[in-house]
Amino acid sequence: MSSETILSTENVTKYFPVRKGLNPFSKEKRFIRAVDGVSITIRKGMTVAVVGESGCGKTTLARTVALMTPPTGGKIVFSGRDISSGRIDRTELYKEMQMVFQDPESSLDPRMKVGQSIAEPLRGLMSWKKDEIDEAVKRSLKAVGLSEDYAQRLPRQLSGGQKQRVAIARAISTQPSLVILDEPTSALDASVQAQILKLLLDLQKEFKLSYMLITHNIAVAQYMSDYIAVMYAGNVVEYGPTKTVITKPRHPYTIALISSAPIPDPTKKNLLQVEIKGEVPSAITPPPGCRFNPRCPYAESFCSEQNPALEEISPQRFVACHFVQKTA
Amino acid sequence: MEDLLSIEGFSVKYTTSSGTVTALDNVSLDLHPNELLAIVGESGCGKSTLGLSIIGLLPRSTATVSSGSVLYKSKDLVKLDSNKIREYRGTEIAMIFQEPLTSLSPVYKVGEQIAEAIMIRELRKKGHKVHSDLMQHTYTKQTQKISRLPRLSRKIPTDLKNEVIDYLKLVRIADAEQVLDRYPFELSGGMTQRVMIAMALSQEPALLIADEPTTALDVTTQAQVLKLMKELMHKVETSILLVTHDLAVASQVADRVIVMYAGEIAENADVYSLFSKPLHPYTSGLLACVPTGYKDTEELTPIAGTIPDLRNPPTGCKFAPRCPRAMDVCTTTRPHLTSQEDNRSVSCFLYE
Repeated sequence: MSSETILSTENVTKYFPVRKGLNPFSKEKRFIRAVDGVSITIRKGMTVAVVGESGCGKTTLARTVALMTPPTGGKIVFSGRDISSGRIDRTELYKEMQMVFQDPESSLDPRMKVGQSIAEPLRGLMSWKKDEIDEAVKRSLKAVGLSEDYAQRLPRQLSGGQKQRVAIARAISTQPSLVILDEPTSALDASVQAQILKLLLDLQKEFKLSYMLITHNIAVAQYMSDYIAVMYAGNVVEYGPTKTVITKPRHPYTIALISSAPIPDPTKKNLLQVEIKGEVPSAITPPPGCRFNPRCPYAESFCSEQNPALEEISPQRFVACHFVQKTA
Repeated sequence: MEDLLSIEGFSVKYTTSSGTVTALDNVSLDLHPNELLAIVGESGCGKSTLGLSIIGLLPRSTATVSSGSVLYKSKDLVKLDSNKIREYRGTEIAMIFQEPLTSLSPVYKVGEQIAEAIMIRELRKKGHKVHSDLMQHTYTKQTQKISRLPRLSRKIPTDLKNEVIDYLKLVRIADAEQVLDRYPFELSGGMTQRVMIAMALSQEPALLIADEPTTALDVTTQAQVLKLMKELMHKVETSILLVTHDLAVASQVADRVIVMYAGEIAENADVYSLFSKPLHPYTSGLLACVPTGYKDTEELTPIAGTIPDLRNPPTGCKFAPRCPRAMDVCTTTRPHLTSQEDNRSVSCFLYE
């Protein structure tokens, strides 16, 4: 597999300002630190899954990478170009980078026929003639397993799974190199989820796509990805090859997260053995030091003083924990 | 052991502008005391309708019960009028929904809402017939004789306060004394769902219907809530009917699992035999859809097609158009739920 880097982020941050109280003249500035210093790398043809619970910043990270919201700090390098500063040609960028969202219902215009929806980005991004666009629409529909006559249908005539196929067809129509998938199957039923996951894997092989997969579902991340980044309260706490992270998690949060994910086997009742207390902290006033320390079984007083940095504990494997030796 | 709940040949139809939808089609099941029965299926399979119809919460304008009975302690709940069923709903038969925030009143403090529930229970024990119209009234009367400043002057009576704290502690809310005085919007999703469970348990219900209780929660919170439900179930001796779309959740907590498809029961088995040896092709198909391994070693085998349009379902077995093992008979005749060994039953011609 090629080791060409397609996307890398260096210490990316995204803060959203919040006003304190009702005083509109208040000078005191507070921020939701949605993404607080995230560095990840996605290589060509690979899938990096970003997992975490709601509010951990995974979706904000995806939106920041896609420049749907500008980063507060840090650097995003896509295909060798720094896209986080200076003038960016978005037409060029979005030819190469596309996104699929969680809710297929709201990502398609209800009054546009499926064919029009898929053609829309092509008209804006590619300088193609009409028949070339029509050809590309047909090609994309075929790639996602829908017949040509679906181009004439309206979204309301489609099922949830079919709508998500259309959204995927639209994303791959410009032949991008990176597709950001934000919870692509969370709104779907189990049998449809399996269809979409399989489709995504087939498309990845066929078009050499790289995926950044945002999901809260550990089983999906495990199945789909080559690398996993675990996020907690705006930080990446663990990063490494999927198999190692799943089988030998080292950060206490990753351990808790993986053992909380129910597995469909009644003989392995992992769920009822979990001991994790508390809930995800506020992103405005995160706990001092390591953000996981109030919930961590290994926490010592030092943990509430300093936030640990992500350190490479073995090749390709990063953990942000002061006491990583305790979980070995 | 006598069944706590016994549903027989139960069918529910919804009238819509584009035709009649058979949401439940001849459903029969039994729930034993102190059992956790999970109803599993994809959206539109009728699992929520089943939960709602037990306590008479079906939308009266569109839903009709076309046949069957719901026997709770050998009393038919379907035949009760709307006043009579209120004696059961929320009291002996409690319910928890998916969205805890929409189930709690936004204008009352959490403690007040639990206190109110306890008050109702006490009145009920004394033989009063209490239902929801009375609830606000009774509560207001007891807590504030003169109500000029309604919100500020409301106080939870001290004798109830301790019990409220006990219930909050029972559902593992650490700082119960503070949580008491908060409004639901000030609490996290996991906390509000715990409050809902506390409220439901305060009625000492014999049956708890939980409709996707953890679907809106994060995985670590889900694990906490499910663990809590399972522990409390034995502590307060109640039965739980857990409605969920998540096979993995069912496998972790259920004693018995019913798999539903398009308004019918496909399979009914104890949790161990269902997962080790699924009989119905839909059950095995559903299990094969759940990713458990890695992409380079395991291949997902999705079920082809989509769920049928229930306005005109296929003749014969409703799963036949998607079934990899369909035979000729499947497309013409409808299979019935038949008993198999190990106390399980399945609705499929492969086993008739």
